[in-house]
Amino acid sequence: MKSSKMKYQDLTHILSPKSVAVIGASENPAKVGHAIMQNYVDVGFQGQIYPVNITAVDKIMGYKSFKSILDIKKPVDLAVISIPAEFVPSTIEQCGKAGVKGIVVVSSGFAEVGNQKLEDQLIAAAKKTKIPIIGPNCLGVMDSRGRNDTLFLPTFKIDRPKVGSVSFASQSGSVGSSILDLVSGEGLGLSKFISYGNASVVDEVDVLNYLAHDKDTKVILYYLEGVKHGKEFIEVAKTATMRKPVVVLKGGVTSAGAGAAHSHTASLAGSSEAYEAVFRQYGFTIGNDLDDLLNFGKIFDTQPLTNGNRIGVLTNGGGHGVLATDAIYLNGLQLGAMSKESQTALRKTMPPIVNIRMPLDMSGEATAKSYEDALTVLASDPGIDAFMVIALFQTPGADEKLVQSLINFSNTKKKPLVVVCTGGSYTKSHATILESAGIPVYESPTTAARSLMALISYSRYRNKVEA
Amino acid sequence: MLLIFLFVERREFMLQLMEYSKANQLLKKYGIRSVDSAYVSSAKEAAKFSNKKPIVLKAISGKALHKSKSGLIQINLGSEKEITDAYDLLVKRAQKFKPFKIQAQKMVKNGIEIIIGGRVDQQFGKLILIGLGGIYVETFRDFALRVCPITRFDARSMLSQLKSRKVIAPDKGAEIMIESLLLKVSDMLITNDINELDLNPLILHDGTYDAVDIRILK
Repeated sequence: MKSSKMKYQDLTHILSPKSVAVIGASENPAKVGHAIMQNYVDVGFQGQIYPVNITAVDKIMGYKSFKSILDIKKPVDLAVISIPAEFVPSTIEQCGKAGVKGIVVVSSGFAEVGNQKLEDQLIAAAKKTKIPIIGPNCLGVMDSRGRNDTLFLPTFKIDRPKVGSVSFASQSGSVGSSILDLVSGEGLGLSKFISYGNASVVDEVDVLNYLAHDKDTKVILYYLEGVKHGKEFIEVAKTATMRKPVVVLKGGVTSAGAGAAHSHTASLAGSSEAYEAVFRQYGFTIGNDLDDLLNFGKIFDTQPLTNGNRIGVLTNGGGHGVLATDAIYLNGLQLGAMSKESQTALRKTMPPIVNIRMPLDMSGEATAKSYEDALTVLASDPGIDAFMVIALFQTPGADEKLVQSLINFSNTKKKPLVVVCTGGSYTKSHATILESAGIPVYESPTTAARSLMALISYSRYRNKVEA
Repeated sequence: MLLIFLFVERREFMLQLMEYSKANQLLKKYGIRSVDSAYVSSAKEAAKFSNKKPIVLKAISGKALHKSKSGLIQINLGSEKEITDAYDLLVKRAQKFKPFKIQAQKMVKNGIEIIIGGRVDQQFGKLILIGLGGIYVETFRDFALRVCPITRFDARSMLSQLKSRKVIAPDKGAEIMIESLLLKVSDMLITNDINELDLNPLILHDGTYDAVDIRILK
């Protein structure tokens, strides 16, 4: 076991600063410090911006510039440092003197390239100044509400997601930036983004702790390669997962060093199994890839929790009903059972060709009204815990009215609802509207079933209900 | 590469197999059932231990980690002749694992063989494991793992995670018994200096269980 952490670092000033100094800001578009400055201007940061560059004269990108952080002489909440690595430790010390409350070190050239000495100097400077530091070798942070954005990725190259309540954390910058792009595409709204690189000062425990207590974060998506402080991670995890869902994707699952086992136990349970055990035990939702993070993220973001696993399936295509049934049972769910009352009520509203049974196949003739009638009846059926609604927009009866009916039902938030839409551009345009209205849409019944199971498993953990 | 090698070597050197009778006593202290056993120094003693009921003879040595693979276990020995032949055979086979002792054990009825184990993870500390045991351990790799100490909820969720759940715990009674057993093992793991533990096989039979083989590495 590694040495224990004394307390968790406060990231408030890093994520929600009122004033930012960009150290290494430059007029030269080839410099990272230029992109960072440009982004602060582009995303419309509302606080004070102070460009700092040792060679600065007059203004940088229209802002009054400073040769040193010490010259600003006004409160600075966050310093974003993007200068050659060798100058970083001394710059941190200057930040300490200037009363800076948080730092993001974007620069690379530390332990990740084997320069442990410089990394140690950075850590020593952090200890001396007591400033929380994210990085080095990272993308840094984003807060879509406060329009705080230290990313050096130009806004034209990577979409910035809309404001929302899903937060994403990652050691890796590349996984971080690709997920940002994907999140925008999925219609998920972002709260906070944290890419913390070498984790030299602020590490996974601090990040999880911060996001767990952040009131603007409803769901945490976490790409994790490793944990440095196992016991503390568990302590923070216990609190975090009782407050909100945490979906974790663990990179590097192939375990090393399992060769020297003396017992069956040790040969079965290596390091990667230990991570999985921790995730299970303390209520994380385990994702296998980036798609899982997004798929689970959107159901957690929008749908109410339920312990029950009986799924009501409505469809306008028989084959999809069969596929949905398979996916449901393969993922530990079951088909909902309709009450006698529901059956009688549905028999009255459905055309004679519709068999009143689960999955409820309303045929290709189904219209918005058919779906509306079925959902209204089944919403109060005690035998159904959640809905998987299959809406195939290729059929004559499915159009924008169906979209509206589904949105109306979803807004009642009575029971979790996911929609499966498989198809091309016409389908996708309708799916996009559903998603912007807060309905998770999936392309296949399998993904929909996996996501429902993630929701239910988490709910059972929260309520300590065993399957 | 060399560093890793040295580390592994050193670790191997540091881990010590707890003497069987001590390990057995430790289990008893935590109320964990294990099969009756005794060290014997002759075939005669073994026959006396058997008291006309079938026994198992094992050669125990810190150098032989896989007793069954090394042919150091002889089972279902009823008659005095069977016991004597088996005793002599084991002594002969165990020569290359000196020093060794011969252990006699009451034969446990057939049942479901499971494994309950533990180990120390560098990052998260002591872990507890349950799985389908005996010869199926490596083949099916059907096991559940948790960090100690575990709660009853954890114990239950470990069982429900197993594909072999219905085989291992077919009814409520078996479920509760195994949950309690897991809690006892978790308690033993955290309150003792144990690096690795194997109770494998632990045989479930007649509504109860017996740990048949115990391996504790300090």
